[in-house]
Amino acid sequence: MIITINETPKIVIKNVYYTYANGTTALKNINLSVNEGELIGIMGMNGAGKTTLIRTLNGLIRPQKGNVYINGENIKSKNVGKLSKTVGIIFQNPNHQLFSNSVEDEIKFSLKNLNLSKSEVQGKTEMVLNTFNLGKYKERSPLTLSGGETKKLALASIVCRDPDILVFDEPTLGQDAKEIEFFTDLIKNEIKKRKTIVIVTHNIEFAIENVPRIILMANGEIIADGPTEELLTKEFLINKCSLVLPQITKFNTALNSIGIKCPKDIRFKNDMIIFLENYLQNKKVST
Amino acid sequence: MSLELLQAFKFRKKNTIIHNLDPRTKLLFSIFYSIAALMFTNIIPLLLIFLSLIPIIFIGKMIRDWFNSIKGLSFLIILIIIINTYFLSLSYAIAMILRIFIMISAFSIFFLTVHPNELALSLISMRVPYPYAFSFSLAFRFVPTIALEAQYILDAQQSRGYEMQQKGLINQIKNLFPLLVPLIVCSIKRAFNVAEALESRAFGSIKERTYYYALKFSLKDWIFTMYLFMFLIVVIFIKIQFNLMPNWFYWGLPV
Amino acid sequence: MPDSIIKYNNFYFRYKKNPNYQLENINLEINKNKFILLAGETGSGKTTLIKSMNGLIPQFYAGFYKGNVIVNGKDTVETPISELSTEIGIVFQNPENQLISLDVEHEIAFGLENIGVPKEIMEKRIKECVKVTEIEHLLDKAPFELSGGEQQRVAIASILALEPKVLIMDEPTALLDPYMAQKIINLLKKIQLDQKITIIISEHRLDLIMPFVDEIILINEGKIIEHDLKENVINGNNFDKIHINKPLIYSIARRLKEKNLYKDKIPASIPEAMEFFEKWV
Repeated sequence: MIITINETPKIVIKNVYYTYANGTTALKNINLSVNEGELIGIMGMNGAGKTTLIRTLNGLIRPQKGNVYINGENIKSKNVGKLSKTVGIIFQNPNHQLFSNSVEDEIKFSLKNLNLSKSEVQGKTEMVLNTFNLGKYKERSPLTLSGGETKKLALASIVCRDPDILVFDEPTLGQDAKEIEFFTDLIKNEIKKRKTIVIVTHNIEFAIENVPRIILMANGEIIADGPTEELLTKEFLINKCSLVLPQITKFNTALNSIGIKCPKDIRFKNDMIIFLENYLQNKKVST
Repeated sequence: MSLELLQAFKFRKKNTIIHNLDPRTKLLFSIFYSIAALMFTNIIPLLLIFLSLIPIIFIGKMIRDWFNSIKGLSFLIILIIIINTYFLSLSYAIAMILRIFIMISAFSIFFLTVHPNELALSLISMRVPYPYAFSFSLAFRFVPTIALEAQYILDAQQSRGYEMQQKGLINQIKNLFPLLVPLIVCSIKRAFNVAEALESRAFGSIKERTYYYALKFSLKDWIFTMYLFMFLIVVIFIKIQFNLMPNWFYWGLPV
Repeated sequence: MPDSIIKYNNFYFRYKKNPNYQLENINLEINKNKFILLAGETGSGKTTLIKSMNGLIPQFYAGFYKGNVIVNGKDTVETPISELSTEIGIVFQNPENQLISLDVEHEIAFGLENIGVPKEIMEKRIKECVKVTEIEHLLDKAPFELSGGEQQRVAIASILALEPKVLIMDEPTALLDPYMAQKIINLLKKIQLDQKITIIISEHRLDLIMPFVDEIILINEGKIIEHDLKENVINGNNFDKIHINKPLIYSIARRLKEKNLYKDKIPASIPEAMEFFEKWV
């Protein structure tokens, strides 16, 4: 991954503190910098502050101390409506946003405040419905869709606004393999378009396969920030964040413990398969 | 205004004599004091009734919460003063304010000191059929959940460009749909989930219901109930014999 | 088989307004003391199947059905759900919507109150369930103020109090972080072994649960496509074909098997896989 040093980071969070009205401090001294085109994951125990953190990105939560900068500008004075054009957050429960008479109307509602012409709205709507395979449900009420499809509709209704920064809150929750594959392709596509992506997730397997950089949170603080394969393999970090080691790490350790010298830095399933294929072929040949 | 007002009705767990009283006693208290308040339109009797509430608030250590409930009413109070002074008299306005203070305080004390569990139980002990008493406590249990859900819905809609401020009345009404429709739909879905869960725990079984908790009247309940009845009798007596009261009883502002 | 607690006989079900059957020709036998995984793609009918096990379908959800479902000798259409709930316990997807009391102790007592259990027995059963689910320290808390993992435990305890023969969990780990998810699965296995009841879990996160599973039921488009011992199912073709999140060790072993490099049965857990690899050190 190439980081251009001259570019202003897309997202900068500086010394942010936030305490809820009931007294719980959800964010303590948060410092984070994300460059354009990066894909980062935020992981940690329930209650560690992950959802609070992402809400600071579009102004839903205003820190009591510290500042948030998007595209180099302090977002303090901008309202949520305006910020939502640059920062699109897709929350966990799609049922919290569906209300229109038809799937098509649902998308059109999302496009309302973007000052687009009628033909542009129509065009974008058709395009996004196609991309998400929801075209056949165009006229149906969103309330009649299945769980997986409502999740896609929620994604579609933010993606159609084409924000520079996409933030996903637990996108793989309750999804089967087909749906996770769809989501993975979607974010790969968006990365190609130089979008910046932030994913809050519990899904360690997904993180280790697809996310290059992880932020680990515990008790409102960021306790680690770095390459996924380094962070998710360290037991003391895993324990602090109520996570478990990725399957590939456990497998790797098990192989090494019985004498198969599997390289410690193997991270992807396909690499492991290739290594084992070679190993077993060689063993077969030598016997 | 509304949020602070609601807070003042939320149960707080404390170990005071008032908290430990049977909820039925406290219900009687709220009802009797409200009746008393409705009997008078003069400042002095209402003030006396109001002052008799103060010791109860102190014993129950509810000063801050109770004060918040009064604060939450400040807008309403100003409105009452203005309207009543214009149409009737300032004395009457103040009397009405005192009346509201008494009634709100009486019920605030009730809700602050009665654990919602006990609410349903007290209804049952008054021979209200179980399903109704249960719906009552179920409503209480889900109010915070629904409030939280409303917040999530607002967050989700704002994140896709929804703006709260709109120009024109029609637009403002139309603008409520993105908030109300998901809220209603989610609440209906939740109702189904709760119903399933209840069915799956044998709710509605033909067998006769037993109770894990039972309410018990103790000595302090009897003493307090006696006080309440005596209080009500004195108040009724004063009302009937109003003309025989000393002059300062009828004092009102010259306005 | 005489041991079966739940038996489906050519059972079909569709909702009133839906022309398609949600469940088609279900023939299934669930026996005692087993840890069963119910797996399928989203929308395959897992939740519908679960709801048909205690009579919610077709009694609570109106629709058209054919065939029957017998639970411990009782027909799920003719027996009231309240009675079936003492045989089959279900913990649904979102525990928050199942916790209706204002303190945990009362929550656990609720089911027992409904069926008219005398107070002394209630106290005994509550004590047992609380011990098994390790929630002694939560008894006077309000259920909706608990964390996700704690809510799950309370929900499980409140169902165990009714002493069902089968405990069904619909996606129990969905809202939990991985460590909590592992703990709940460990707890469920412990309950199965100690109480000798059958546990059926509908799950998407198969890697955490696979080592504990005895039998797997595969469901696709409303039909049961396979129900067998774990090792038979994961070595079969159906498991491979459906789009569920397969454990890593499965995918690796499958690929190696295709290249004829892996000769054993496909492993369900890492220790099982090591048994094979040890031969090649």
